[in-house]
Amino acid sequence: MTETEVFLQQVIYGLSNGMIIALVALGYTMVYGIVELINFAHGDVFTLGGFLALTLVGALGAAAILDPNTLGDSSHWLLLVGLVVTAGIFCGFLNVAIDKVVYKPLRRAPKLTQLVAAIGVSFILVNIALFWGGAPMEVFGGGNAAAASKDFPEILEGSNLLGEDSNVVLRLEDLAIFAITIPLMIGLTLFVNRTRLGRGMRATAQNPVAARLMGINTDRVISATFLIGGFLGGAASVMWAIYNNTISFQMGFRAGMDAFTAAVLGGIGSLPGAMIGGVLIGLIRAMSDQYIETRWTNVVVFAVLILILVFRPSGLLGLKQREKV
Amino acid sequence: MAERRFSFFTPGQYAVLALLAATPFIDLAFPSIQLSGPMRTVVVYAILALGLNVVVGWTGLLNLGIAAFMAIGAYAFGILTAEIYPFQVGFWWALLLSGAIGAFAGWLLGAPTLRLRGDYLAIVTLGFGEIVQDGLKNLQTITKGTEGINPLPKPTIPFGAHIDAALSKVGVGSAATTDSAGTTATTALSATESVAGALPRWFDISSETPARWFYLYLILLAVVICLCRNLEFSRLGRQWFAVREDELAARCMAIEPDKAKLKAFAAGAALAAVAGALFASHLASTGEPANYDFQVSILALCIVIVGGIGSITGVVLGAIVMVGLSNVVLPALTQAMQRAGIGSTENVLSSPDNYKYLIFGLALVLMMRFRPDGIVHTRKAVKK
Amino acid sequence: MRFGGLTAVKDVSVEVKPGSITAVIGPNGAGKTTLFNAITGVYEPTEGRVLVAGRDPQREFSSRVTMGIVVTALATAIFLAVLVRVEVLWQAAIIDNYVFQQPFPWMKAVAAFFTTFFGGGFFGTWLPLLIGALLGGAGRLVIWSRTRRTPDVIASAGVARTFQNIRLFPELSLVENVVVGMDRRLHTGFIGALFALPSALRERTKARMDAMALLDFVGLADRAETAAANLPYGHQRRLEIARALASKPAVILLDEPAAGMNPTETVDLMRLIRAIRDAGTTVVLIEHHMRVVMGISDRIHVLQYGEKIAEGTPEEIRNDPRCIEAYLGKEELG
Repeated sequence: MTETEVFLQQVIYGLSNGMIIALVALGYTMVYGIVELINFAHGDVFTLGGFLALTLVGALGAAAILDPNTLGDSSHWLLLVGLVVTAGIFCGFLNVAIDKVVYKPLRRAPKLTQLVAAIGVSFILVNIALFWGGAPMEVFGGGNAAAASKDFPEILEGSNLLGEDSNVVLRLEDLAIFAITIPLMIGLTLFVNRTRLGRGMRATAQNPVAARLMGINTDRVISATFLIGGFLGGAASVMWAIYNNTISFQMGFRAGMDAFTAAVLGGIGSLPGAMIGGVLIGLIRAMSDQYIETRWTNVVVFAVLILILVFRPSGLLGLKQREKV
Repeated sequence: MAERRFSFFTPGQYAVLALLAATPFIDLAFPSIQLSGPMRTVVVYAILALGLNVVVGWTGLLNLGIAAFMAIGAYAFGILTAEIYPFQVGFWWALLLSGAIGAFAGWLLGAPTLRLRGDYLAIVTLGFGEIVQDGLKNLQTITKGTEGINPLPKPTIPFGAHIDAALSKVGVGSAATTDSAGTTATTALSATESVAGALPRWFDISSETPARWFYLYLILLAVVICLCRNLEFSRLGRQWFAVREDELAARCMAIEPDKAKLKAFAAGAALAAVAGALFASHLASTGEPANYDFQVSILALCIVIVGGIGSITGVVLGAIVMVGLSNVVLPALTQAMQRAGIGSTENVLSSPDNYKYLIFGLALVLMMRFRPDGIVHTRKAVKK
Repeated sequence: MRFGGLTAVKDVSVEVKPGSITAVIGPNGAGKTTLFNAITGVYEPTEGRVLVAGRDPQREFSSRVTMGIVVTALATAIFLAVLVRVEVLWQAAIIDNYVFQQPFPWMKAVAAFFTTFFGGGFFGTWLPLLIGALLGGAGRLVIWSRTRRTPDVIASAGVARTFQNIRLFPELSLVENVVVGMDRRLHTGFIGALFALPSALRERTKARMDAMALLDFVGLADRAETAAANLPYGHQRRLEIARALASKPAVILLDEPAAGMNPTETVDLMRLIRAIRDAGTTVVLIEHHMRVVMGISDRIHVLQYGEKIAEGTPEEIRNDPRCIEAYLGKEELG
């Protein structure tokens, strides 16, 4: 492999992972933009999305899915989209439920209180994922080792699209990630900018009190935000599972950290910021894996975060906040 | 805060210390339980949580990576005392130096980041907690990776030999009175030994009784409580409270919030590092880096929040409840169930140990919802 | 002072004589509070200066700042260079020299450390040193430039203020609130605080006595130990004034001190403000109560749409047609 090929390969990895991170980061940044809460549980909602997807795969029968004769060729894509949508809807409603049950009563409480509650929710969800991992299903290892990571079956064909002789590998999974995340991001941008509810979101983000006075149903806006954020997280979890072929009850913690770093990097509260931040984090990780060392990658990402925060505390695209006096 | 008249502790603090001091007697009554070992962990976590309380409770900064400073303290202690390295400064110097190194680490992390908005800081500290683990795992030449540095020394009594000599001069009569608590708690002493002969051994911590070791830790906790109390009622404590209540107003009163926060951060980190050193000494090893993971940080946060954010008494009480639950009751329950043949390791649901996250999570959520001030209230403002 | 494209306060110059009471009045949205915020450093003025006794209170680019930048740059450089090769250095200095249970050759270890440290070549030693120095120096510089003119700097120069929306420390007792205001006159350091040294305790007792005296001055001494949040609204305003006075400021800025007060309280307040002036503190206040403004001010500045439209004694302002128009249409003033 030449230097250029190595570099290109890392760009592909980085972009694919970065897109997934960006989807999760959108969930953080949207919720933060509306209710100024770091939804700490978002990463674990993401985990549960992956668990649901694996359960569905298990229920449908992993072997049947992998056999092209039973389902036909296009059905792989059908299955993928089906999983993305199901996990997305599940995570969306889970997120809304968490908001209604835990965050809503605390809306006026100090920020610290809300954040601690969010951490609490995160731990509860981790425990649920642990129990879920012990489910007596074949895909979960028959319930033997709940805490172990679970194999996620290969849904898309793994061959290299650039031809078998090419040193740079571009798989169908990479394309699938682009094919799903990019429309989602465009859709989200259109939704926020063009629809009534989207306008309500932007208004609520700027000034919730004024928005309520102008007749915007802020409760509905907040629910919609959690729903969309959760949906994106759920969709991301399926892609993550397909891309990495493994899930575990703690996967949301690391993914959540990366995603949050991405959101901060891009400027929290800014949608394009989260997208750019996610892709950047993906690329930084891939480059660090290749040119520094995989075991130091987390340290590199952290160093980048610190540098950004020192030199640009509101992120790349964030606005400077001014306190009202 | 009422005018403080001179006293080392408040009645509440005396009460929790007395409660802790009484636990070795449970061992005496039921020799099969052996509480003294696990109770050392309670003391370690109490010190850790007191450090976190300085940052979260008093200054209002959410630090989600306190375990990182505990790890730094533990490894500093390990490097400074282990026989594989040339330093071997002994328990007490290593304890002090660990605290200093912890404070330095806290300062190093805080200096560039404390100007951030509160919730950013939470994530930065969380990230720090993760990368410290990574770093310790990766720097195998220094930290021995996942093996941990061992063996590490137990604490020694300072001037123990002199005290022994002095006491043996005084004679049996007075010795018998001073040491009643010690000997009764010492189950390992054989009945044939005379009280006078037993006495010097009370101070020789490296001998077999876990009770003595526990009491030494308890004394350290008392010292920490006293120092925390000094800070709470000092100019610095007032600056912390002011920054917590209203940073901008504090700024307009000529307080530099960044400096006040940095001091809080360093003080909290120092206490966490001391806790880490005591933990390493308790284990006789630093253990693996994963011993100081996010779960430890959250346990410390739970202790502070369940006990009563901002209250020293509350935090110590929280440590007794939470650590008692997760390190004493749950493992005991699991063992008992295994012995009785109820449930199997196959089934996640049947092992009480697996409910830890759920218990922590529920504790946090429910406390925030219904009693955000914790068991022990310190707030004076009437809720409107 | 601009926010985005909006100019909130433009070309307003307020000169205040020492030992006088100056009022700033104007309709809502005229930019009075913004002016205060710009003066006290809460907002960074786009252009313009605040002079206290002829000096601009801000952190100068002094030799101390330069030193700080150099020291930070050096420290970061060394830190980074050590960090990237910490294992190699450890191996060379400690592990290679230590033989189990034998005396450790300290000098040899230090020498080995330095040879290894400087022996890393360009990528091992010099590049990390360079990057570290650049980042450290730049970071320190950025932080200095961001904190050049923050409220604590202005407050240290002797400008105290109160807030339009009261901003007390709600969980602290009244006396503690006042002692916080006194902070710039206290000296207890970390060690003193940690060990409760006698000097720290003495200072504390003294500070509390001074605070009690101030509470007495504003008439709140009987509730000194209650939490500030439990105080009625009018009293909270007086507590804010006491807290601001505690720093012994040269100038005190009062933002609508009479808001929400009943007539009796207002009269008390006027007496209090005069007493503050008579004690030697210069007073600048924003107020809507014309009775207060006209009753106590030595000089009045009138703002409208962010610009100053008049300045003069209460008598002059009362008769200035532009002011009458600006204020409540045509209604007579005061």
